[in-house]
Amino acid sequence: MTTKNRETSETPNQQGDAADTSLVPRDPLTGDAILPRTQPGYYAGFTTLSQQSFWDAATRKVIDKRVNHQPPIRFFNPTEASFWTTVFDHLIPQTDRTPDHRIAILPTLDERLYHDRTNGYRYEDMPHDREAYHLAFDAINQEARSEYRADFISLPYLQQDLVLKTLHDGEPKAAPEIWKQMSVHRFWLLLIGDAIDIYYAHPWAWDEIGFGGPAYPRAYIRLERGEPEPWEAEEQRYDWVAPDHAVSGEIEATHEFYLESVQHRSHRRKHERLP
Amino acid sequence: MKKPLLGSFEPPAAGNKHMLGALQHIHLPMRRFKELEEVDYVIVGVGSAGGVLLQRLARAGFNVVGLEAGPFWDTERDWVSDEAGSHDLYWEDPRVTGGTDPLAFGSNNCGKGVGGGSVHWAAFTPRLHPSDFEIYTRDGVGTDWPITYEEIRPYYEQLELEMPVAGPAYYPWGHPHGYPYGPHPMGGVGNALIRGCSALDIPVCIGGPVAILSGSHGDRPHCIYRGFCIQGCKVGAKASTLITHVPDALHSGAEIRDNSMAARVSLGKDGRVNGVHYFDKDGREHFQRAKSVILCGYAIETPRLLLNSACPGFELGLANSSDTVGRYLMAQAGTVVLGRFDQLVRMYKAPPAHALTEEFYETDPKNDFARGFAIQTVGPLPAAFGKQMVSAKKAWGWGLRREMMDYNHWASFGLLGEILPWPENRVTLADEKDRFGLPIAHVSFNLHENDKRLIKAATQKTIEVMHAAGATEVVHEARYAHLVGAARMGSDPRTSVVDKFGRSHDIANLFICDGSIMPTQGSANPGLTIQALAARTADYLISQARTIFTGSKRDMTTPPIRRELAPPDTWGKGVPRFTHLLSAGR
Ligand SMILES: Cc1cc2nc3c(=O)[nH]c(=O)nc-3n(C[C@H](O)[C@H](O)[C@H](O)COP(=O)(O)OP(=O)(O)OC[C@H]3O[C@@H](n4cnc5c(N)ncnc54)[C@H](O)[C@@H]3O)c2cc1C
Ligand code: SF4
Repeated sequence: MTTKNRETSETPNQQGDAADTSLVPRDPLTGDAILPRTQPGYYAGFTTLSQQSFWDAATRKVIDKRVNHQPPIRFFNPTEASFWTTVFDHLIPQTDRTPDHRIAILPTLDERLYHDRTNGYRYEDMPHDREAYHLAFDAINQEARSEYRADFISLPYLQQDLVLKTLHDGEPKAAPEIWKQMSVHRFWLLLIGDAIDIYYAHPWAWDEIGFGGPAYPRAYIRLERGEPEPWEAEEQRYDWVAPDHAVSGEIEATHEFYLESVQHRSHRRKHERLP
Repeated sequence: MKKPLLGSFEPPAAGNKHMLGALQHIHLPMRRFKELEEVDYVIVGVGSAGGVLLQRLARAGFNVVGLEAGPFWDTERDWVSDEAGSHDLYWEDPRVTGGTDPLAFGSNNCGKGVGGGSVHWAAFTPRLHPSDFEIYTRDGVGTDWPITYEEIRPYYEQLELEMPVAGPAYYPWGHPHGYPYGPHPMGGVGNALIRGCSALDIPVCIGGPVAILSGSHGDRPHCIYRGFCIQGCKVGAKASTLITHVPDALHSGAEIRDNSMAARVSLGKDGRVNGVHYFDKDGREHFQRAKSVILCGYAIETPRLLLNSACPGFELGLANSSDTVGRYLMAQAGTVVLGRFDQLVRMYKAPPAHALTEEFYETDPKNDFARGFAIQTVGPLPAAFGKQMVSAKKAWGWGLRREMMDYNHWASFGLLGEILPWPENRVTLADEKDRFGLPIAHVSFNLHENDKRLIKAATQKTIEVMHAAGATEVVHEARYAHLVGAARMGSDPRTSVVDKFGRSHDIANLFICDGSIMPTQGSANPGLTIQALAARTADYLISQARTIFTGSKRDMTTPPIRRELAPPDTWGKGVPRFTHLLSAGR
């Protein structure tokens, strides 16, 4: 089968925070902790990086820079840097990855803000991206202090998750003067959008989700029935549920909205969802 | 590490070969005009419209310079097969967005660099329907165009050959027609659309119409189904004016000045424009004199430039005596409907644009709204898909990781719905400035009752199709696509900016030619219409010869189409199946 002879080994790593089983995913049937892997996901052993010599030179260069050359931290100060690193541990948790196979998010965000690169627009009810991150640092800490009497960074994981969930739900209780200056849901989309842009740009994340990655000049040839290319892998599913001490595992699909301006509104304003 | 049989892929050796796709190249340098030299035409923006116009005017023998804010791409060196690495293709200069339904820009609007938005478009190329040109007469909404479908039809047929477009031999909607190149094979998303539509007895069109080569053409290879169309097609299979029209433009003596940002159009004492002030890459200011100026900067940048060119006599903005510049901006409803299938789909393969239905395009008296929508395939790559999961399912953290692990099980359709033109949906200037010190655009967008009803019905129908295709879970993300309008054409100078040939009502030698002149937009992707209008404007300019450079008389006779000005590869390639339709357009 296509998955044999792959380079990555699947030996679980038992070090690091894997020791705390309340923070790693579990097998839903047995309840056992699923030990961290070098490559979580259903495509064990699939590695896009092993295909690099089939990619064009410009693409190879961009990916090599991303994987092997992390930019220095220049925009955030050390306190902010560890604060946002912690936040990203909740937005894209990676305790199912062995520590040496985690994807750093902060340096790429820092580089974007350092160079003041944006998406090319700013919502009227939002400050500039740089300012938004500064304001949110204060707002999230205020939320943590008002609910749990401590700075965000010193809270246990579950309470940190709960603090961030208030932003996800669009209903933070503290720091109203900050949230008056910027829309909660627009900030949430900015934050999680940054996390997604960075994590899912990494070849390890492509391996995790079974995305084939760059395909010029080689091409994709099997277009139908979701079949893998000869160099891609078959899916091998396993069941897992989110760790006990996390609240981000639940998904609520909302169907009653039709307009972009209402799809992110909070529960309280549910009645406004129908146009 | 696995290696190709003949070793790693290496780029072609440097030299003065400038790559435009895997095989096509051009030799630079090109002709250079002196700044003091008064050229015939300055074109601002070498994008979808600007590229076609530049080619036509140069081939007809005019001295023409294209000012392009972005770079002149070497596709092999500058473009990558990578979602995160493709930001440079998009216009990411600052803008402010607001209103009750603010639009997203960035990777969701215009391009920057030679080829403009045609570099990152998905290349769906349906035509407008005949009804689109008279929706006020038919339905009492929006406005009528100053031209009919019959006037633009020969240009549709012509541009379909120049791109060229692949699609079925018989396309049933609007004015039925065929395509010069055969349809593409289906990917997983197209197959889902076929299954869903067929189960509900909805006719569906597969393999096009899309400006992507299904067979090789000249020095352009056919599609290799790598799915990175909106990151720029390194292969050269997808049409962009960079590869379809710019090479011939340069060959015919046009100049493209890249990294040149137009700041202000200059008005002379005689009430005629006489050139364009622009900034080069290093922020130095220049002035290019010209006998006539044509703005092709896209639906946001064109109105912004006119507003930034306000001067005595035109305090509200150049060519804005009607106070219409910036108004009637439109976007199409582009809600993405995602369906999860038990079987794998792998939607990253094949072009995102490869099947559609226009069965719901026209006004249906049974609906509680006017006009309609199309349903099309889209194929988001991982990061785009992740953000859709955030919007559609409020996913984050572990939930997001889990949804993403299922990426290969999802297919996605995009609806394309007509939003009507409203005067308060507009581009104005913000207080903020860009790096050249130019005020940036502020865009305000609000949906109205008809728009909202249409979006709701279109979303529900698309969800129904996705279920019928066999999806076990269906969710959606509301969004918008394709900005047009904001400098609309019309016959009444009090309510429009330009006449039916793109000439501004106020200034005899100032033209606009890009998506901003569209009075309404239908539910067809705008790119083909924009390029067809550009070729038509070119024929008008050429037919008027030099009278535009001196006179102010407005000759409103429609000139015949001049097929001989097409890029040389156009004829003798492809198989136009309905030759009687083509000759009827002559
Ligand atoms: C992701 C995506 C997918 C799309 N898919 C499709 C599709 O499948 N089918 C379709 O028909 N359409 C599609 N579109 C829309 C299509 O790309 C645009 O409608 C079209 O390119 C607009 O043409 P234009 O000539 O008006 O502007 P553009 O093609 O954007 O050209 C404008 C050019 O002007 C330049 N410019 C602007 N201001 C200045 C200035 N002041 N000085 C100098 N230069 C300037 C810009 O850099 C740019 O190159 C898509 C768009 C996006 C974002
Ligand atoms: S799918 Fe085809 S058209 Fe699109 S980028 Fe790939 S080769 Fe080009």
